Amino acid sequence: MTEENDKLKRLLNTIQIPEPNEEARKGALNAAVAEFEQLKKAEEEKVEGFSWLRRRTDKTLRRGPVMSKQFVIAVGTVFSIFLMVMVMMPHFVSYPNQYSYLRRLFSPRVEEKSKEGLVDSLNSFIIKYGGSSQSTAFERGWRDQTYAARDRFEAATPNPVKKTSEEPVSTFSIDVDTASYAFVRRALNNGTLPQKNAVRIEELINYFDYDYPLPEDRSIPFKPTVAVFPTPWNPDTKLLHIGIKGFDIVAQKRPKSNLVFLIDVSGSMEDRDKLPLLKNAFRMLVETLDPEDSVAMVVYAGAAGTVLEPVKAKEKGKILAALERLSAGGSTAGGEGIRQAYALAEANFDPDGVNRVILATDGDFNVGIRDPEELKGFVERKRKTGIFLTVLGFGQGNYNDALMQKLAQNGNGVAAYIDSLNEARKVLVDEAHANLFTIAKDVKIQIEFNPAKITEYRLIGYETRLLRREDFNNDLVDAGDVGAGHSVTALYEITPTGSTAKLIDDLRYGKPETAGKENVEEKSGEYAFLKIRYKLPESKDSLLLTRAVDKKSEYQSLASAPDEVRFASAVAAFGQLLRGDSHVKDFTYNDVIKIAESVRGKDRFGYRSEFMNLVRLAKTARAMGDN
Amino acid sequence: MDNYSDIELVELSVDGDTEAFEYLIKRHYMAVYKVSYKWCGVKEDAEDITQEVLIKLAQKLKTFGRKSSFKTWLYRIIINTAKDYHRKHATKRVYETAFAAERSTDNPGSQEDEHIDAARLYKALEKLPEKQKTAVLLVFSEGLTHNEAARVLRCTEATVSWRIFQAKKRLKKSLEHEI
Repeated sequence: MTEENDKLKRLLNTIQIPEPNEEARKGALNAAVAEFEQLKKAEEEKVEGFSWLRRRTDKTLRRGPVMSKQFVIAVGTVFSIFLMVMVMMPHFVSYPNQYSYLRRLFSPRVEEKSKEGLVDSLNSFIIKYGGSSQSTAFERGWRDQTYAARDRFEAATPNPVKKTSEEPVSTFSIDVDTASYAFVRRALNNGTLPQKNAVRIEELINYFDYDYPLPEDRSIPFKPTVAVFPTPWNPDTKLLHIGIKGFDIVAQKRPKSNLVFLIDVSGSMEDRDKLPLLKNAFRMLVETLDPEDSVAMVVYAGAAGTVLEPVKAKEKGKILAALERLSAGGSTAGGEGIRQAYALAEANFDPDGVNRVILATDGDFNVGIRDPEELKGFVERKRKTGIFLTVLGFGQGNYNDALMQKLAQNGNGVAAYIDSLNEARKVLVDEAHANLFTIAKDVKIQIEFNPAKITEYRLIGYETRLLRREDFNNDLVDAGDVGAGHSVTALYEITPTGSTAKLIDDLRYGKPETAGKENVEEKSGEYAFLKIRYKLPESKDSLLLTRAVDKKSEYQSLASAPDEVRFASAVAAFGQLLRGDSHVKDFTYNDVIKIAESVRGKDRFGYRSEFMNLVRLAKTARAMGDN
Repeated sequence: MDNYSDIELVELSVDGDTEAFEYLIKRHYMAVYKVSYKWCGVKEDAEDITQEVLIKLAQKLKTFGRKSSFKTWLYRIIINTAKDYHRKHATKRVYETAFAAERSTDNPGSQEDEHIDAARLYKALEKLPEKQKTAVLLVFSEGLTHNEAARVLRCTEATVSWRIFQAKKRLKKSLEHEI
């Protein structure tokens, strides 16, 4: 008998149990903690109403059973009086004042309740976290491609080729957004080519981290590096590459953060690649915060409401519970939400810290201020208070890219598009420093080409970021910001004088190109002169960095150019191919792969390998289009 | 927190200490998961059941009677959750991953036999009435005494013994039948 039992025991324990998924584990723990917090909060609310009663109960019960008997009698008496009053209540109806007085007396929470009604209505959707399968479900692919056509992008025509003799100066604002890349990736993973306007080449290029040299001295936030090398897609032109990389904030020196999450919970957010993904993303962000960082949460749907007053990040449970409670429903009063979020950020403003509103939405503001210009104006005014804005785009279907871009650009902010948990990790965890801590703001680049060396030039990408020449020195004109560790890259395709690739004919009546010759000759070795203006995060006045682009930064062949530079050129070519630009001529996706393959670099997170996959996907997507 | 017993952690949690609660569920996650897996045989289901158990733990903390042991109480929650889950999802249980991986490695003959036996045993277990299966898992896999199992299942010790007896009879029959 015992032998049999032992065998049974042994056999039952022979089973090999697979390790649980780490994400499932974390999700389960967080869900339980959220539930715990939720119940605690409900309990506290209940107690508040009866605090006197509870205090009595506690005290009395502790004194022992005899007292508790007395207590029961006391409570019984109180209740019978209460009942009597209730019964008599209708008699007071004829005296409305007395009635309302009594009502207030006996249910002091009624009014409070109605005040909270707004929040309650937002909270009414309390959903039970539906299981760990959720965390991976949204990564399983996207449905309904027909949706994609409703996503809104601002139209942008590629920058035209400029003639140096006519317009030697080019000015633009930097752009560290990456939304476009994620959107392109999503489309390609669906087997379709992205809409042309969804492809912003500079965002594709800046999606990747480049190892540009850092400044030796912290007093300057970054150092520009320049390179001139043969254009991969055109043997007769060259590429001028400008790269800057901001220093990274050392973890200990990291300032405190005052973050306000502004979360869209309107009906359109209920898709699994929106709100559920957003929750997961924010759960990850919460993990990376310092205990003293402060977090608040505002949601907006039909109405806007604060679901979490500012708390310290160490009270993780509260934050997670508030996140859990979110669910989607109603139309979108984004404007009001933004107002409340900024108000909270202002109330909790930390002059030495980072103050930031993080807006997560599919960009569909359909109630309240819906005029993009008005919203833009609001965000722009708030920028001056020192509160920065991060815009995280989610989902597809009615994604309003144009508005998101506008908000981020005008609110001293960053815009990113979150299409998967991986992307959330990149934006919120791996690059948290870059996206949360600004080291330089209003960074503008101006470059003056030397007509003696270059006849024509063309800026690749940055179509939505062009500035007027005079804006460069005008500190009131807003521009992009650089976060800790961010790298920014810009590429110009330049046509050297005498090259056969020249596209624009000389003017018949124009001056000969010898204008100002004596001056030009002096600096004849230079291709161009680079100027960068930036402001330190708290400063109103800009600082200037300059550097000449000359022979020293030139590489005779593509192969001899630095890896980072070559990779950037591959991404630029890819973007232009996706847009169907004429400048890339007979360059193909295969050529892009060839360059990218040779320069994958460290690729710590596998982003560059992913890029190669996307190029391959684009090849087949294109083939489908041709049929 | 390491020094706190389960019961102390429960008490702290009841007083609203989130950290204590988090610690408590972290401590028991694997144990709960393992029992769940043995019950259902599917990794994803076991993960889901575990999550539900932890949530229930949060909800039921206050009902934890200090006289009973935490282990007993936890087992009861797991068993009930697993049963509910099974009812709700009516999942077919496969212990494939558990045994397939084992079999592929070159085990000496006898051990391999054991694995095959174990796989068959779990399959046979599936065919038992739920009550008998539960009793078998608690007693033989979890190593509870009949008395402890009785407390988990809220029945008498005699009932547990009876279920075990019946279960063993059936298991033997179905295993023999297969051979």
